[in-house]
Amino acid sequence: MTDQTYLTCEEMFRHLEDYLDHELRAEEVERVEAHLAICEICAKEYAFEGNLLDGIRKKLTRAKMPPDLARRIAATLDATPASDDD
Amino acid sequence: MPPAQQTLSKDRFGSLLTGVLDQAYGYAMSLTRNRADAEDVLQEASLRALRFYDTFKPGSNFKAWFFRIVTNCYYESGRTKKRRPETVEFDDVPRLYMFAQSAGAGLFDSGDDPATALMAQLESEQITDALEALPEEYRVVSMLYFMEDFSYDQIAQVLECPVGTVRSRLHRGRRLLQKALWQTAVEFGIVEKLKGQEAPA
Repeated sequence: MTDQTYLTCEEMFRHLEDYLDHELRAEEVERVEAHLAICEICAKEYAFEGNLLDGIRKKLTRAKMPPDLARRIAATLDATPASDDD
Repeated sequence: MPPAQQTLSKDRFGSLLTGVLDQAYGYAMSLTRNRADAEDVLQEASLRALRFYDTFKPGSNFKAWFFRIVTNCYYESGRTKKRRPETVEFDDVPRLYMFAQSAGAGLFDSGDDPATALMAQLESEQITDALEALPEEYRVVSMLYFMEDFSYDQIAQVLECPVGTVRSRLHRGRRLLQKALWQTAVEFGIVEKLKGQEAPA
């Protein structure tokens, strides 16, 4: 095991968002999780950011599609040949 | 090609499209910010998708494929605002903005997790409004990330841009969103309310 195995808080800070987004490689995830297990401050930042992203995701509302739009699209598609119908 | 194959192909397309139309409408609305334009873009995208359905690779992500068509229809429709990209100053919006502000306001002293407490107090409409108010390059990426749960790679496919651009825009968009949400929380007295909560004995 080398020193490269251990992340500094600065390195952890740079990896935090990619870790939250599940965008790190497996070996990077291991190093991040090893750091979070021993660093209370980084673990606190991680928990805060994670809860914030979860809260935003749960509360965002999507514009509702007008019910007649789906019907109009379906009717248009029914009347249109597909690419392999030509 | 035998007729049964053609029918199956179009039926399968219809089924896949129906499954993503609601989400695609929300995406079109976030692009156009206008109901009539969103409807036009979605109708054009549906027709174009049917026309080019044979370019869809079975087993790949239909939603990402269709969203890319929606994106192209939007940019080709002339509905994009003819203006320079907004200049955004990030110097006063460091990463972990809300964490730092919450710590500065003493919200960690109350015992509860401040992020959870803040999000519980903010209304859905306030959060949606804050996201929709982001400049377009950050809004679109953030919308695909938060609402559609796309990965960086999928967002890059939808927007036809490098993954590094997605990462950069998403991270910056989040910083702007955090600043906007914190300002809303201050403006509506949420921060003061949380500060007033006593820590458990």
